[in-house]
Amino acid sequence: MSPSVEILQGTLDLLILKTLALEPMHGWGIAQRIQQVSREVLQIQQGSLYPALYRLERKKWIHAEWGASENNRRAKFYTLTKTGRQQLEKELADWEQMSTAVALILQRV
Amino acid sequence: MMNWRRWFSRNKKWEQDMQDELRFHLERQISANISAGLAPEEARRQAVLQLGAIEGVKEDCREQRSGFWLESLYADVRYALRILRKAPGFTTIAILTLALGIGANTAIFSVVQGVLLAPLPYNEPERLVLVWQYNLMLKHPISVSYPDFLDWQRDARSFQQMAAYDSQDRNLTAPGTPERISGEEISSGFLNMLGIKPILGSEFSPDEDKQAGAPVVLISNRLWRNRFAGSSDALGKPITLDGVEYTIAGVLPTNFRLLGDDADVYTPIGQGDPLIYGDRTIHPVLCIARLKPGVSVAQSDAEMSAIQARLVELYPSVDRGLDANVRPLKHEFVADVSGTLVLLLGAVGIVLLIACANVANLLIARSAARTREFAIRSALGASGARIVRQLVTESVLLSLAGGTLGLALAKWGVRPVLATLPGNLPRGENIGVNLSVLLFALGVSVAVGIVFGLAPALQSSLTDLQASLKAGGRSSTRPHHRAQSSLVIVQVALTLVLLVGAGLLFRTIRRLWEVNPGFDARHLIAFNVGLSPSANKNVASMRAAYQQLIERVRNIAGVTAAELTILFPLSEHQNIGPFWVGSQEPESSAQAPRALFYWTGPDYLRTMEIPLLQGRYFTEADTASSQPVVLIDSALAQAYFPDKDPVGQAMTIPHWGPVRIIGVVGHVRHWGLDERDAYTQNQIYASLNQLTGDWAPIFYRRLTVVVSTPLDAAAVMPAIKAAVYGASGDQTIYGVQVIQRSLAQSLSSQRFPMTLLGVFAGLALLLASIGIYGVISYSVIQRVHEIGIRMALGAETRDVFRMVVGQGLRLALAGVAIGAAIALALARLLSSFSRLLYGVGAADPITFIAVSTVLIGVAILACYVPARRAMTVDPMVALRHE
Repeated sequence: MSPSVEILQGTLDLLILKTLALEPMHGWGIAQRIQQVSREVLQIQQGSLYPALYRLERKKWIHAEWGASENNRRAKFYTLTKTGRQQLEKELADWEQMSTAVALILQRV
Repeated sequence: MMNWRRWFSRNKKWEQDMQDELRFHLERQISANISAGLAPEEARRQAVLQLGAIEGVKEDCREQRSGFWLESLYADVRYALRILRKAPGFTTIAILTLALGIGANTAIFSVVQGVLLAPLPYNEPERLVLVWQYNLMLKHPISVSYPDFLDWQRDARSFQQMAAYDSQDRNLTAPGTPERISGEEISSGFLNMLGIKPILGSEFSPDEDKQAGAPVVLISNRLWRNRFAGSSDALGKPITLDGVEYTIAGVLPTNFRLLGDDADVYTPIGQGDPLIYGDRTIHPVLCIARLKPGVSVAQSDAEMSAIQARLVELYPSVDRGLDANVRPLKHEFVADVSGTLVLLLGAVGIVLLIACANVANLLIARSAARTREFAIRSALGASGARIVRQLVTESVLLSLAGGTLGLALAKWGVRPVLATLPGNLPRGENIGVNLSVLLFALGVSVAVGIVFGLAPALQSSLTDLQASLKAGGRSSTRPHHRAQSSLVIVQVALTLVLLVGAGLLFRTIRRLWEVNPGFDARHLIAFNVGLSPSANKNVASMRAAYQQLIERVRNIAGVTAAELTILFPLSEHQNIGPFWVGSQEPESSAQAPRALFYWTGPDYLRTMEIPLLQGRYFTEADTASSQPVVLIDSALAQAYFPDKDPVGQAMTIPHWGPVRIIGVVGHVRHWGLDERDAYTQNQIYASLNQLTGDWAPIFYRRLTVVVSTPLDAAAVMPAIKAAVYGASGDQTIYGVQVIQRSLAQSLSSQRFPMTLLGVFAGLALLLASIGIYGVISYSVIQRVHEIGIRMALGAETRDVFRMVVGQGLRLALAGVAIGAAIALALARLLSSFSRLLYGVGAADPITFIAVSTVLIGVAILACYVPARRAMTVDPMVALRHE
């Protein structure tokens, strides 16, 4: 197993939004996707994934619907809403700005 | 608005969805783990571990819902109700304890609210003030002379309106049977200033409020109903007061009271006797005013001082030595009792603290027993905060139940509390359970529930999970025990404080009972007479009627003596006037010394058994044509004749002239046994037989008969009534006072707080002993194993007994020591701010020793039962049990 990194809550929101920007997905799928794409570096605390999903749903950034999963079971699928897409863009911009700033400092020192 | 049923069914669906989603996640994870090569069992274990504590995850999800707090509150309440129902004994005791504490607090608060907090029942009462004259020599506010008042009224700019009033008893002779009733003389516009409208007619016009104005009167609702059957025809009808016919101009509302005085007739003060209201040296009236909007009390006070200073310049021989003061009306009204009420509120608050400590103790004991439950819940993912919230929900539920019951107690309890109130408690009629009282009870209940629930809850959330699970809930009791012991020490300390307070007041009352009132109070009855209309014409006819009446009363079997007087001790009336000794005439009459003047029949001093110290009593030989003479009391003699014999000396009494002192009598406690309201100790007696001129009719209208009899009042009153009725059959008796009872009544300002403090202290003692009993019993149960070992090693049952009682005793002693220190500080405060203590020091050793002994005795008793139980421990059983 490669070394894993804990994810901060705000970052988890961003990752979920970004992941859902591709296609609607269920909770387990989101966790898997984040892990795979980050090459197993980012280990999602599965226990904190669902509260985060409910939180985003309450903010109306994502929308949930029951549907059939890839193995034909009843699963809850999440879709990015219009406001969710706007939020994602805003958070991405924030992230860019932040990481550039941090990178600048790290290079200088 | 969604209805509850739909809300709950939606809630159920949400819960189901969430569970389904998590189950789906687990299944996917398990199959993923199996695909990765794990055995099915191991795959499931890993999946569950990866997800984390499932109940915690669920709870975290629920917390994200918008209606979550309401929903979890509902769940908490339901769970709490279930838990409480499962422990009915605990629940009952906790609720009853809290009901007592909250009920007592609510009852006292309703008194404080009605008397101190509620606004006066007038329009914009915060702008109403009392304006006093202030005698700089006596250092005492005094009532106002009417001419000064008129000058104030003309000059003052701070007030929208100023009005004067004075209480005068009146003899009502028609219509109906004669009766002496209480009356007020008031300025025109007074009612308007208070915002009161007569229910019939209208108040006086300024034209009626002057000499030679039409004689008009406003009557109380009660008089209207009693004498005019509540008919609107009463307007314009005549009633006869002191022989003068008045026309009824208006009827007042049912509950109208002029600042606590409950008068039946109100007449224009401008028509009052010019002898009283035309003389700048006489100070009969109280002045009430309404501040203009935006003017402060301090501003008006400064203006009034300036106006009074101008009057001093204008009338130096009268007003020099006088200032003027403005005070908020409500403050003047309730200042006397506010200290006592605040004291009682503090005391009853202490009772509540003790009750809370008891319930907290019970909760701690229970939470120790429930450690395993908490451990399981947190193992399932409940956070510490979650468990604390659950426990606080339980305790708030308990306290709300206690509060509801307490409110009922208070509603019923306020009446007996009122019955013990001093008769002169201002605004007593205002007390009841109203919205603010309800809010108070609710607020106190919730606060109390949170406070006593939080402490044990925090403690149990801190206990070590692993250890509790392993020990099956029996270990980790050490911190519990320490907390319980501290609570018991606090209880004992607070109980001691209350006991000391009650004890000091009890000793005060004992001391006051030992005070010699200066006269023989045991055998005296006083009453007023409604003279027959035929006798009520002039001084000569009144004097003759009274003379015959007194003779008839003296002839009744069992009556030792009877006499007339305008004033007698403990009557709450006063007749204060200036005097000076020898040729030392003061610069102004305001600067003259003051004395209580008793105008009496010649036999009064003997009737009252006031002892003659020097000289002689009055005799029938002291008449209008002989030299004017007075007797003085020992206080005046000591103050003004410290080194010579007062008998034979001259003194001057304004409005009368030079008089000679013929004797010195003992000082009388006129103002009550503690003389707390006295502003002069000097007393002067003069004979009615020497009273002539303009003042005679005024004094004759105020006469009271005092009768000395060894018989019971009830036994002798019928004969007295018959004798008074006598001649024309239309004279009646009013206002009968048995002086012995007035004496007891005069102690009410101490007895009222003493009774209540006594009840509270008793309650506290009971609660504290239950607290001690609970803690010691619990500790005996916890220590059964230890006791078993001790006994197995050879300890006698006696040693075990001593050990258990010693444990309780140590707590009690610590509590007593802490409590004594607090009580000492509080008692000092009590004696400095409220004048409640009399003849007893704040640090009275007898009180402190007595109540400490009682408290320690009760503590030992409370330990007795658990100690006996400890003695019966069978070492074999105890050891095997572990």
